[in-house]
Amino acid sequence: MRASTETGFLRQWHRPFAGRTAPPPPLESATVVDDVVQAENAGLDEASQAWVTGLQASGAEHDRCLADLHALLLRVARHELMRRAGSIQVSGPELDDIVNQAGDDALMAIKSKVGDFRGESRFTTWAYRFVVFEVSTKVGRHCWQRRPAALEPEAWERIPDLHTVSPEAHTEQRELLEILRAAIDEDLTELQRRVFVAIALNQVPMDAFARELGSNRNAVYKTLFDARRKLRARLETAGHPRPAPIRAS
Amino acid sequence: MSTEPDIDELLTAETIDAGCSAGFEVLHEYVESELSGGDPERGLPGLAAHLRSCPACRDDHSALLDAAKYFGDAGPSKTPDQ
Repeated sequence: MRASTETGFLRQWHRPFAGRTAPPPPLESATVVDDVVQAENAGLDEASQAWVTGLQASGAEHDRCLADLHALLLRVARHELMRRAGSIQVSGPELDDIVNQAGDDALMAIKSKVGDFRGESRFTTWAYRFVVFEVSTKVGRHCWQRRPAALEPEAWERIPDLHTVSPEAHTEQRELLEILRAAIDEDLTELQRRVFVAIALNQVPMDAFARELGSNRNAVYKTLFDARRKLRARLETAGHPRPAPIRAS
Repeated sequence: MSTEPDIDELLTAETIDAGCSAGFEVLHEYVESELSGGDPERGLPGLAAHLRSCPACRDDHSALLDAAKYFGDAGPSKTPDQ
């Protein structure tokens, strides 16, 4: 696996929401980039090279490669849905429908983006991102369409009673929860409050709630991120700063 | 909510968090590094932070890790002259 010009570009862009003020610098000229891509493709593993060559070929070779990739994407989609079977209620024709839609849409995305593959991973790992994302999105849509009565939108946006802590809870915990509840009511915008309550407190699937809002996962997460920072700031002002997360390494 | 919520988990928001879209662009690198025994948290700290606080992308990460493990070595069928 090699670092590429494109990877370097992404790493540079891979900055946090906070402080992201300017667009990334332009890439070098197309000719230079094409040369880099050709040089990098020369170092691909055999299977990855075969995928890229087949997808960029024409005629029977291209068609055969597309059919192979489609079949593989369907297997991955089905595998992923089975993996999630414990948390989603989908089976039979509905499951087949999600598998087929995810496989078809992922294949379209891969066909249009295969020129972006730079060999930072095996081709399959790069490609499976698309089918995994399609499955997530379609499962979110499914959850939204089939939500049980207990998860009607109003319930998604209802603040749980944060005061119902156990008698054994420490006084500080009770105080923190009271400050948090007040901050949710007073400091957040309406959209931030809806998103924080649904995603963080009521654990509504993010893709389902994005569907509810007519939005997308990235925008919903950005709203959640901003809400969390406001709430952290309120706790800090109140004398209860929260520690930074513990890193694994 | 029947039990006390973990406030720090509810409020995880690291400044280096890359977000969903930027994370997706390098998720395959992260997974490949994990599978090859590398240290993706060091190489892609923005995505590592994001995975700590985004449940949807954490699910996708688990899914991609699983798919790459079980189907990662697949290649296209050989053409007749190969």
